Amino acid sequence: MTPPELATRWMHALTSTAYIPLSHAEIQQELRDALAQLPSSPESVANRLVSLHATGPDSLRVTIEVLAPTFELPILARLSSAYAHAMRLDAFDQQEQIKVAIVRAKQRVERTLKVSQARFREVFDSAALGIVITDLSGRCVEANDALARIVGLSRGADLHDRDLRELYHPDDSERLDAAYRRVGAGLVNGFRDQRKLVRADGEPVWVHLVVSVLRDADGEPAHHVTMVEDMSELHLLQRSLDHQLLHDSLTGLSNRQHFVTQVERRLDGTPITLYHLGLDAFSVVNNGLGHDTGDKLLKIVANRLGELAERKRAVLARIGGDEFALMTTSDTVTSTVEEIQQALGEATFVDDHGIALSASIGVVDRPPSFATAAELMRCANTALRQAKARGKRQWALHDPHDDARRRGRYALAASMPGAWEHGELKIVYAPIHLLETREVLGAVARLHWDDLSHNDTMALADSTGLSLPIGRWLLREACAQAARWVEEFGAKAPSLHIALGALQSRDEDLVADVKRALDESGLPPERLRIALDVSSVLAGDDNAVVLHDNGIVTALDGFRGGHDELAVLAEVPVRTVITRAPAPGRETPLHQAMRGLITTVHGFGVRFAADEVHTCAEADDWHAAGADGVIGLLPALTAAEVTELLATAASPPPAAS
Amino acid sequence: MAEQAGRIPEGVDTGRPSAARLYDYLLGGGHNFAADRALAERFLRAQPNARTIARLNRAFLRRAVLFMVDNGIRQFLDLGSGIPTVGNVHEIARRADPRARVVYVDFEEVAVAHSRLILEDDPQAEIVQEDMTRPEEVLAATRETGLLDFSEPVGVLAVGVFHFVPPEADPRAVVAAYRDAVPGGSHLAFSQFTGDLQPAEMAGIVEVMKKSQNPMFPRTRAEIEGLFAGFDLVEPGVVPLPLWRPEGQNTDDPDRAGIYAAVGRKI
Ligand SMILES: C[S@@+](CC[C@H](N)C(=O)[O-])C[C@H]1O[C@@H](n2cnc3c(N)ncnc32)[C@H](O)[C@@H]1O
Repeated sequence: MTPPELATRWMHALTSTAYIPLSHAEIQQELRDALAQLPSSPESVANRLVSLHATGPDSLRVTIEVLAPTFELPILARLSSAYAHAMRLDAFDQQEQIKVAIVRAKQRVERTLKVSQARFREVFDSAALGIVITDLSGRCVEANDALARIVGLSRGADLHDRDLRELYHPDDSERLDAAYRRVGAGLVNGFRDQRKLVRADGEPVWVHLVVSVLRDADGEPAHHVTMVEDMSELHLLQRSLDHQLLHDSLTGLSNRQHFVTQVERRLDGTPITLYHLGLDAFSVVNNGLGHDTGDKLLKIVANRLGELAERKRAVLARIGGDEFALMTTSDTVTSTVEEIQQALGEATFVDDHGIALSASIGVVDRPPSFATAAELMRCANTALRQAKARGKRQWALHDPHDDARRRGRYALAASMPGAWEHGELKIVYAPIHLLETREVLGAVARLHWDDLSHNDTMALADSTGLSLPIGRWLLREACAQAARWVEEFGAKAPSLHIALGALQSRDEDLVADVKRALDESGLPPERLRIALDVSSVLAGDDNAVVLHDNGIVTALDGFRGGHDELAVLAEVPVRTVITRAPAPGRETPLHQAMRGLITTVHGFGVRFAADEVHTCAEADDWHAAGADGVIGLLPALTAAEVTELLATAASPPPAAS
Repeated sequence: MAEQAGRIPEGVDTGRPSAARLYDYLLGGGHNFAADRALAERFLRAQPNARTIARLNRAFLRRAVLFMVDNGIRQFLDLGSGIPTVGNVHEIARRADPRARVVYVDFEEVAVAHSRLILEDDPQAEIVQEDMTRPEEVLAATRETGLLDFSEPVGVLAVGVFHFVPPEADPRAVVAAYRDAVPGGSHLAFSQFTGDLQPAEMAGIVEVMKKSQNPMFPRTRAEIEGLFAGFDLVEPGVVPLPLWRPEGQNTDDPDRAGIYAAVGRKI
């Protein structure tokens, strides 16, 4: 081989092992020079290769391969060892360089820190806010003049070395001390508070404090910085504003907003009871005797209820024109209701009119702690309406079982963890039918608990935080079952479809979970379809994409046909969308609309399926609208029942009759 | 301001691997730490062709810069410039025209520190430490260097970086912001990982990088084409790395190149 040929071959070999930032012609020239040099000085050739950056893991090997037929072994041996040496030096150089770079970077940071310290100094001295830096024991390291003025001293230096705690008002010192300690221990980054300090003349002064921590170079808390704003006048104003915001001006009681926040505070497991009172026939008083009389009456009612609330250590509020609310703890409902009626029933003389009042009362007793205050207010209101519907002086207890949604959340949510532990949750398999041929396409694995549907069970699990463990279990179990079917029945085994809840659809470990379920069960990936909750995809989650990239076919469940959802179809590789919309009866406008939607979906190359289709007539409607598949035409079966069916039938289960 | 004074220098956490150092390692560089190499090994298990892909990507960067130089571009904004390993943009461009100017942008400590060191005495190139997904800040910092003239065409390079840009960062808006900041005739060179070529390997990479400082987001050819709104894609369009205007005969397998590359010219 001629030297130029050899150089060309060497170049091709080298450039596939390392990135050499030169044109081919340039590299070739370099290598031709190297070839000329090689017999006399393999060491310089080695250096040359390294400085060209022909330093890939395979660069030396291919070099030897290309050169071996032409050059003697001892030369190549020298080349190799010199190359290794040069590589080592090069690596050292680079590591050295990186160290220098990092040291410089640190120096830069320190320089900017100095500048920022200078800026801090400037702010410190000229601020209108009081600023004090204390060590963790509370000793003042530095304070500015502004702070000195707030506490009635003349110069910041007067505070030097004093204990900041001496400035706290005794009422506050314990709480403040604790708050500072939490910051000092690094538990929180800082706090804000409104507190009193004591001036040099003994007068209290209201201040707004903002406390943060200064850390040392190791990131450990070293000092506190406290900024202090004098609020004495502001404070008074604020207090009256707050009061107005939170109280009813007629009766002086808390208003609804204030009441709700107080309820919120007790939603920590405290056994509370809410009473929502509506005065019976108050509008009769108001309209018949005039608003003034009405107002006076309301004040009297407020007083009487106020006494009762005090006795019971209850929270009382006026939450509407003639409506009051009471929150008690550890209470007996019947006796409180009686006491309320007694307090109101006592005849009242207003402007010479003797009036006896009564109230209708809605009661919410010991709600579960995960209910929100707003929900409880709504429940109490519902109960009040029920009581009113029964006549005057009635009361009604909010019955969580009245309301299906709340039943789901309150009662079932509470028992779900137990049911799950005791194995009461079951997996059943619902057939998916292809509408064109009425063949069974596969089986959807679903949760079954009590008489709840899969989706309700999932939604419930989502609200209790159980949906991830339950969803993983469903994934594993169903894959294992499907794998057994494949093993036993081969091609006749149904493909497995799993619909995930909203949380699991978005779970960042989902892909890993799916892969694990497949690995452990041995189920071939192409026999699995994962239906993700459409909300996850709308939220921009990429599980659908990643699953697809892993060769797993996905569907979107809960599809409603919104523009946002259609837009997603253009981007996310899904095979099918599944809707739970009602069947579009033929010759209805819905039918037309659904047809249009399905055509659009098909336009994206996506198939359309409907869930919860229970009759052949509905299936026909869907078919006419262009849908591809339906779920629910046959009742869901347990795994054992499916196995039996597969075993007895020569073919998959027939379509519904 | 108390907060500012309290902030301590972040230092370089050599225990946390970074994409910049991973790439350096794959290219055979020595500017990396044990944690980076460990990550690289896992990366290589997911995509055994990763070293070649890194090399092809760097080679594309070179061809793209030379293409731009041929088209009259003399100033470059290199987004996600990485650790200056070999064949840096200013070196490539200056071999063609010594007056070429470059502003590098990266947000990774070591990449920035190292670039700063290398560019210390270079009046025509500078690095700014910014997040390239925040174009306003990047452009402001770039203007502050005084190196680029935004009334003249600029070569914007986003090579091997957009796979670190999550969908939430709105990649189209990011590209559009840079496009709108430069005059017509400016160019955009772009490359990023895709799942179109080797879906399984790509998924493996995504998984490996998921929990790192730099999770990855592959894009399809259509998505990448979408990013070029307002640009004319120059031939041959969006293609696997080795097929973008190869120098001489291409011997690398495009199906295993992992990354799509493209150059566009602002209309
Ligand atoms: C794989 S390197 C590419 C280097 C060079 N552009 C090339 O193609 O050869 C990607 C670089 O982008 C940087 N990077 C990633 N996301 C970034 C962001 N949001 N802003 C700035 N730099 C980023 C990383 O730190 C890394 O240095």
